[in-house]
Amino acid sequence: MKRALITGASMGLGKAFAEILSRDGWELVTVDRQPDGDDSVHGPAAVRFQCDLSVPDEVAKLLEALKQGEGFDLAILNAGASATGRFETIDPAVIPRLVHLNAFAPMALATGLAGAGRLNAGSNLLFISSLSHFTGYPGASVYAATKDAVAIYAKSIRKPFAAKGISVSCAFPGPLRTAHAERHAPKGAKAEKRMTPEEAAEKILTAALAGRKTIIPGFGPKLFSLAGRAFPAVTVRAMRRLIYDRLDRDVW
Amino acid sequence: MTALAAKRRRILLTGGTSGIGLELARRWADRHDIVITGRSLSGDLAALMRNRPGVTHVVADQAKPEKAAAQIMAALAGRGWESLDHAVLNAATGYAADPASEETARLLETLDTNLTATMLFAHHLFPLLEAGRGSLTLIGSTAHRGAPAFASYAATKAGINGFARSLREEWRGRIIVQVLHPGPTRTTMHKKAGLDTGRAGAFFTPPAAMAAMIDHAIARRVGGRKLSFLRYWSGESLLARGL
Repeated sequence: MKRALITGASMGLGKAFAEILSRDGWELVTVDRQPDGDDSVHGPAAVRFQCDLSVPDEVAKLLEALKQGEGFDLAILNAGASATGRFETIDPAVIPRLVHLNAFAPMALATGLAGAGRLNAGSNLLFISSLSHFTGYPGASVYAATKDAVAIYAKSIRKPFAAKGISVSCAFPGPLRTAHAERHAPKGAKAEKRMTPEEAAEKILTAALAGRKTIIPGFGPKLFSLAGRAFPAVTVRAMRRLIYDRLDRDVW
Repeated sequence: MTALAAKRRRILLTGGTSGIGLELARRWADRHDIVITGRSLSGDLAALMRNRPGVTHVVADQAKPEKAAAQIMAALAGRGWESLDHAVLNAATGYAADPASEETARLLETLDTNLTATMLFAHHLFPLLEAGRGSLTLIGSTAHRGAPAFASYAATKAGINGFARSLREEWRGRIIVQVLHPGPTRTTMHKKAGLDTGRAGAFFTPPAAMAAMIDHAIARRVGGRKLSFLRYWSGESLLARGL
C-alpha cells in the first residue's frame, strides 16, 4: 500500500487531497493543528499528528516522530495561511508566524524527511505556492513573500532531489472556493467564480504524480500567470485595484 | 554635486559591519547621518566611526527578529530621529548545504535573519519612513530565481523580492520601495557560507563597486534592478552618482 503525508488535511485543499487519495487506496498520514478525535474533521487517515506548524519547535518534534515511521511515496506540504490587510496595520506577530508556517515548515519537512531517507525512491514531493507568485499581492505582502520563498525553494531543490529519485512539484492555485478564501476575499468577490478545492486537488494530484514541476490548475489561472510574467507592472496594478483598494478589514 | 545630493540624509543601514554594507557606510559616512546595525562592532566599522559622530552602531542579531527590531527602534529614538530618509535592509546570512540534508536550525536561522527580520523591520519603520517621505531599499540577490547549492538562501531572497513587489504597490505615492539584486560580489559571504568560488571568484564584482551601484540605484529611485557583471563592466560603478 502506498503511503502519503498531507499537512493541513482537515479543510480546504488539503481535505480534498485526503479524500481523493483515500478513495484511491492510499494509506494516509495527516498533520493538523486541530486536536484529533473528530472523524468528520479529520477524514480517513491511518495516522494523525496534532501539530501547530507555525511553531518551529513543534515542527522539529513532528519531524523526529515522522523519522521513526516508514517512508512516504508522496508528501503534500499543503498547510498554510494568509494574512490580508494593509501591511503597516497588520499585527507584527503575524510576520514570524506566516514565515514559519508557510515557508519554514514545508522546507524543514522536505529536507528533514529526505535527509532521513523517509522519501522513498520514486516518490513525489509536492509544495503548494500561490498564483500570486507570478505577480504581486498588494494587501497580502507577507503571504506573497512566503509563497514566493516556497516556490523558489522547490525550484532550487528539484535537481538535487531528482538525483535521489524524488520528484519535486510545486502547485500555484488561484482563488479557491474554501472557507479560508472566504475570510480573506474582498467584499463583492464572487465565490462561485472560484474553483472548488476538489477540482483543484484532482488536477494538481494528477500533474504531480506525472512528475510535472510547475502546476497551475485551471485555464483562467494559467492565463493570469502568463499575464503576470509578460506584463508585470500592469498585472500588479490590476491586483491592487481588485484587492488592495477594496480591502475593508484586516484578517489574520 | 547636485543640490539633491548635497542634502544631509538620515539613513538606517543593516549589516554594515562588513561586505557591501561596510562599503555603503564608507560612501556615506562623510556626508550623511547613519545608524548601522550588525551582530557585533567590527574593527573596520569602528575605524570608520572614529571622529564621525554622525555614524553610530547598534548591536542587533537578526536571527532574533523581534529583539533586533526593538534594539534598532531604540537606537533611532536614542538619536532623536522621528523620521528617516532611507532604510537600507542589507543584512543577510546563508549557508551552502545539500538541500536533501540541511540542518533545521540553520534553515530557521536563514529564514528569520533574511526574511522575517526584513519584513518586521519594514513594519516598524513605516511611521518614520512616512514622516520622512523616505525610501525603503531591500537588498536581494540574483539567487532569488533559484540556486541548488544555496536553496534556503535563494528562497529567502525570493521572499524579499515578492515582498517588495507587493509592498511597492501598497505604499505607492507614500514611500518608495525598491529591491536590488546584487550578483556575485567579492565579499567574505561565500567563505562564511562554505562555498568554494574557485577561479570564478576573481570575476566577482568588488564590494566597493557593488556599493556604488546600489547607492546610484537608491539615488535614482529605481523600483527593482539586477546589479550584475554587465552593469559593473559597463562602468556604472565609476560614473554613477549616489546619495
